[in-house]
Amino acid sequence: MTFINYVAREINCKIVYYGPGLGGKTTNLQYIYQITSVENKGKLISLATETERTLFFDFLPIDLGQIRGFRTRFHLYTVPGQVFYDSSRKLILKGVDGVVFVADSQEERVDANLESISNLAQNLKEHGFDLEKIPYVLQLNKRDLPSAMPLEDMKQQLLVKGEPVIEAVATQGVGVLTTLKAVARQVLVELRKSA
Amino acid sequence: MERLGVDGRGTSVNVDANRSVVCDLNAKYISYLHDCCDVSSTTFNLHEIDFLRIQAILAKMQMELRAELVLLISRSGQPIVISGSAANIDCTALASLAAANLAATDGLANIVGEREFSVLVHQGRQRSLFISDLLKRFSLVLVFDASASSGMVRYKCKRTTQLLEDVIRDFQKRMENANSFADSPQFSDEELEELLGQ
Repeated sequence: MTFINYVAREINCKIVYYGPGLGGKTTNLQYIYQITSVENKGKLISLATETERTLFFDFLPIDLGQIRGFRTRFHLYTVPGQVFYDSSRKLILKGVDGVVFVADSQEERVDANLESISNLAQNLKEHGFDLEKIPYVLQLNKRDLPSAMPLEDMKQQLLVKGEPVIEAVATQGVGVLTTLKAVARQVLVELRKSA
Repeated sequence: MERLGVDGRGTSVNVDANRSVVCDLNAKYISYLHDCCDVSSTTFNLHEIDFLRIQAILAKMQMELRAELVLLISRSGQPIVISGSAANIDCTALASLAAANLAATDGLANIVGEREFSVLVHQGRQRSLFISDLLKRFSLVLVFDASASSGMVRYKCKRTTQLLEDVIRDFQKRMENANSFADSPQFSDEELEELLGQ
């Protein structure tokens, strides 16, 4: 749910990073946190297990700048990728404005990627959203690994609707901002379209 | 922070019921979400007139309870109106965690066959936290001195919630009658490019 505050002159949107476990969702947020200036970010909150696996979600509020006198504030969330945390994933999608799917490019994670996209579609549906219609970006992460699958093969397997596809190496920050801007653009265009 | 209690309201259900009943409840819960919480609504616009009405209600409650902070937040985790001194509290993080907390509690309610647990109280040594659902789309969050009576907090919150529900219903109605997006910020492709360009 995009929240437009005319008093504070702010547009507030919620973006959720979705994908299989250990795919790099939290790393995306950590990189964004590292490179964003203090005045444009809030605290990075991670509700994680003692082994640093996401238990509930990570949360990072950031400010991408102004448009037409409105500050654009994006609340970034990740979900826990592990299969058995499905209830938590479902909760985080509440009121979502845009989704980034962080796919793991390694060949052995093909099934995990497919299962996670199917899970995303199902969970969105339960909140009344349609994956075909919601702002959505596919990030192919871990492109630097030797076992990374060819780009075309991954697109063939994971593309849902002709969404933007961004190759990334989140640990090095490659493709991270491009992904964020791609989903932010779709969310703002969607907001404008509604007018 | 010590968790003191969870208060439920809604249909009483035998928690020993078998799995199929629980599945049925899941389906009913989802249907209930779709019916009344309007979670898929795309935009919520807050204008000065509504802001002032909500702020007046929150400020009154804050004064009566001598609460440190009172927030109206969206169930997606965004702070909407804040009353009180937020100097040493990160309201953005508080709103996000409170919404997640309430959502998780809803999930728990669903698992044990309750329709919802609409109120959450966390009592600490110095500060306590009260979180209450509002029309399934918003929540009321209070940060108050732990010495305050939780009964009084509940009582005042219930009254305040009713007042806020009236205001929210009123502007939701207005949004439905008018074109709710008519006054959305209009921007050109060039402006979008300037904001998000490489």
